[in-house]
Amino acid sequence: MLDPQTVKQWKRFRSIKRGYWSAIVLLVLLGISMIAELLVNNRALIVSYEGKWHFPTYAGVIPGSVFGLDYDYETNYRDLQQKFKEESEGNWVLMPLVPYNAFENDLRTDKFPPYPPSLESKHYLGTDSTGRDIVARLLYGFRIAMGFALVLLVCSYAAGILVGCAMGYWGGIFDLLFQRLIEIWNTVPFLYVIMIVASVVVPSFWTLVTVMVIFGWTTMTWNMRTSTYKEKAREYVNAARALGAGNSRVIGIHILPNTISVIVTFIPFSIASGVASLTALDYLGFGLPPPTPSWGELLSQGTDHLESGWIVISVLVAIVSVLLMVTYIGEAIREAFDPKKFTYYE
Amino acid sequence: MSQQKTLFRSLLLFVAFGYVTGCSNPDNPDDSGYVDLPPIQVREGDGLPLELPPDLVWVTNDEDPEFASPDAIRGGMFRTWMLSFPLTLRLVGPDSNGAFAGVMRANQFGPISYHPQTGRPIPVLATHWAFGLDGRSIFYRINPKAKWSDGFPVTADDFVFSVQFHRSEQIVGPWYNNYYTERIRDVRKYDSHIYGIQGADAKPPEEMHANYAIGPRPKHFHKMSDRWVEEYNWKPDPTTGPYHVGKVVKGKYVDLVRTENWWGDDLRYMRNRFNPQTIRYRVIRDQNTAWQHFLKGEIDTFSLTIPEYWHDKAQHEVFRDGYVAKYWFYNQLPQPSTGISLNTADPLLSDINIRLGIAHSINLQRVIDTILRGDYERLETFNLGFGEYDNTSIQPRKFDIKKANEYFEAAGFDKRDSSGIRIRTNEDGSVRRLSFRVTYGRPLHTPRLVVIQEEAKKTGLELQLQLLDSAASFKQMREKKHQLAWMGWASSGIAPTYWEFFHSVNANVTQSNNLTNHANPAMDELIMQYRHSGDRRERVALAHLLEQMVHDAAVVIPRTKVPFTREAAWRWVELPEWRGTRHSNALFNSQAPSQMYSGGGLFWINEEKKKEVLNAKKEGRRLDEIVVIDETYRN
Repeated sequence: MLDPQTVKQWKRFRSIKRGYWSAIVLLVLLGISMIAELLVNNRALIVSYEGKWHFPTYAGVIPGSVFGLDYDYETNYRDLQQKFKEESEGNWVLMPLVPYNAFENDLRTDKFPPYPPSLESKHYLGTDSTGRDIVARLLYGFRIAMGFALVLLVCSYAAGILVGCAMGYWGGIFDLLFQRLIEIWNTVPFLYVIMIVASVVVPSFWTLVTVMVIFGWTTMTWNMRTSTYKEKAREYVNAARALGAGNSRVIGIHILPNTISVIVTFIPFSIASGVASLTALDYLGFGLPPPTPSWGELLSQGTDHLESGWIVISVLVAIVSVLLMVTYIGEAIREAFDPKKFTYYE
Repeated sequence: MSQQKTLFRSLLLFVAFGYVTGCSNPDNPDDSGYVDLPPIQVREGDGLPLELPPDLVWVTNDEDPEFASPDAIRGGMFRTWMLSFPLTLRLVGPDSNGAFAGVMRANQFGPISYHPQTGRPIPVLATHWAFGLDGRSIFYRINPKAKWSDGFPVTADDFVFSVQFHRSEQIVGPWYNNYYTERIRDVRKYDSHIYGIQGADAKPPEEMHANYAIGPRPKHFHKMSDRWVEEYNWKPDPTTGPYHVGKVVKGKYVDLVRTENWWGDDLRYMRNRFNPQTIRYRVIRDQNTAWQHFLKGEIDTFSLTIPEYWHDKAQHEVFRDGYVAKYWFYNQLPQPSTGISLNTADPLLSDINIRLGIAHSINLQRVIDTILRGDYERLETFNLGFGEYDNTSIQPRKFDIKKANEYFEAAGFDKRDSSGIRIRTNEDGSVRRLSFRVTYGRPLHTPRLVVIQEEAKKTGLELQLQLLDSAASFKQMREKKHQLAWMGWASSGIAPTYWEFFHSVNANVTQSNNLTNHANPAMDELIMQYRHSGDRRERVALAHLLEQMVHDAAVVIPRTKVPFTREAAWRWVELPEWRGTRHSNALFNSQAPSQMYSGGGLFWINEEKKKEVLNAKKEGRRLDEIVVIDETYRN
């Protein structure tokens, strides 16, 4: 059964409508992005050819020759759908909602990209300057940005909590030493480091995560240090000690669960900052290498092509709404975990 | 408090004292550090005759047509922009190779230049010239009217000083030190207005100027010392051309001002040119911002060569309402050698079948037809645009899935993995994917590469894009750490060069321009023959042969060429009827050089028209739209 306090916190969270609904929408979006291949993809969901069914979405490349086409490279399912329709021999293709992937250039010879939004061509938000579908770029970009933010969160929190707890728990020289070390470390201009790294090697997802963790773990230490200090002085810790619990047990079983509210309230804001940092880095050209779908890259295209307003509007709306939702969630969580509501001093 | 004040005062005194003694230093040659440059050292086997040879045939060129318009109006300010403020106003030494250096060098006229229509030499500082019997020396007779912008006459001493200066270690310019020692072998003054110069190799006479006609340096202006680099950092040289540096507001703008009573105003090929009184180069740190300034009329002209600008951005109302004109002007200049260089030091790329397969997998035509809107054209050969030196019989390899498949299969890549990329199982059982890195340095080219990347998948070739900072990418290529290098070399001069790009001396060593690491003894021999030949016909034949060898080796995939310039100009910036010349690299080029030709400075500013246009704009009155497409020099 759930802890009665957790239940109270959950109820409180639900009662804050803005945050609650934001959480639901964001979770749904995350869910959608996890199965993006089924919704936004240039590979068909199902191809029925000569009575046999094919499911290309998660399979390897199926060359055109399999479906009686005259080429060996990957089948163009949109053309195939058209072809089957015209032949009407009982073969059919079921395409996803948006029949484009994030990398493919849908280029026409009569017009030049960027193409405006159009229902007919199924580019619901138009294309970017190389003819790539914006819905696809946004959705896959969202998945990467959220994934990035989450991985970053886990890694930097793990380091931050560990060091912060240790500082608070042992205190003394250890605490003093680490405080100074962190202060020094914080003065290293992290953006320059990223710029230098990006000019020497092509930054991959993991190099970016690594660099950002190396420079981002320190934020959490201060909060953990103070909470641990506070908790350590409580009687239950003394009691545990008196019962003979070791350091790791005291920290892991007793102190950490009691500081969880501090951690939880920071999570949404860290996610927002993770998404924003990746977007900013991509915008400046120091982020993930092209042609990775990315909001920052789309934003930079948008500002370069202000006359094709659909690019900048789509991406701005996406960034602002996601960041707003995350912030609302953060606000609601903070509210829900507010100790003033649930701590009773005797 | 009072103690602090005293300390401050004594510090001030100290600084003032230091400053005064610093200033008085030049009067005292013993401890000033100023030196006289050593006389020209000549190596054995080199050297000009001690006396001027009596049998020289002095020639000039006063018969080619003029190309500037007599309708030109003098005066006004031409407002343009630059991306960053120059780090120095020196012409040589550290940091002196920025974009603005080109503008300042453009005003340092040399003895001759080339006619932008006929391509023949035309007199500038020299009135006449003659060629020595050794096939590698030229004698020039300087125009007695020629003056520096500070009023001092230009004499033969300035040309001798130029070689001394560029050879000196005080300028901290190793490239110049090397060029003026290795390529320029001797310089000699025969009279205050006659001098001779000797180069390293014999060249056909018409090409010799391009290599050896060095410009003068003002001997009266430069005091050489170990502090030269700092002392002259913000002291621009006087010029021999029409403009000199005027007002400089650091970080904001640099004005070039026309020299009063410029000595060259009456020269046949200089009159009616360089019309604006002032040219202001404003710092605008971003191209998009500069574009907005242009649309507001704060900048007079803007380049529209990039398709997006011509087709999309230039649909703005100032174009529609006829306040700004659009020009598309075809020219005939050496094309930059843009291409994909395949590093043959890579084990896979050493196989010609792979190289040929890649060449047929790169769909440049699709890039041209879509992203580049059909404006650019396919570059046929590595070197192009050198007139009869071009080997026009070569056709570039086109995107061809069938051929690419055949070549890749011949190289053993006959299967595809689940992602559709070709694989080869080696003898030791290991599997090799057909995947290569493409290194490049310009974010602007990402869209082009993305299309190529997608198309290449059709032949089973994977390309991974590696976008680096432009300096870092060039460094990686010069260190030969790349697989495929997407880059371009600027071209200029009269004849193509092969030695630096294809000679085996430059293969498999770092810091050389042979990015393909191509090494072929037969080709080396021809390259050396080409390099040392003084016979133009032989050189042309050799160039054709060499270009064919480059094509056959399939080490470079030539990319695109842009045989035109496109520009937008506010209506008050006017051009001659014929707009430009065969060799105009830009129509609104305020400076003389257009690559090696003297073709710039033909436009002028019509102040009355400016008032009219601005009035019309204020009243919202539309004028006729001007869109000019000039195909006079289209091939």
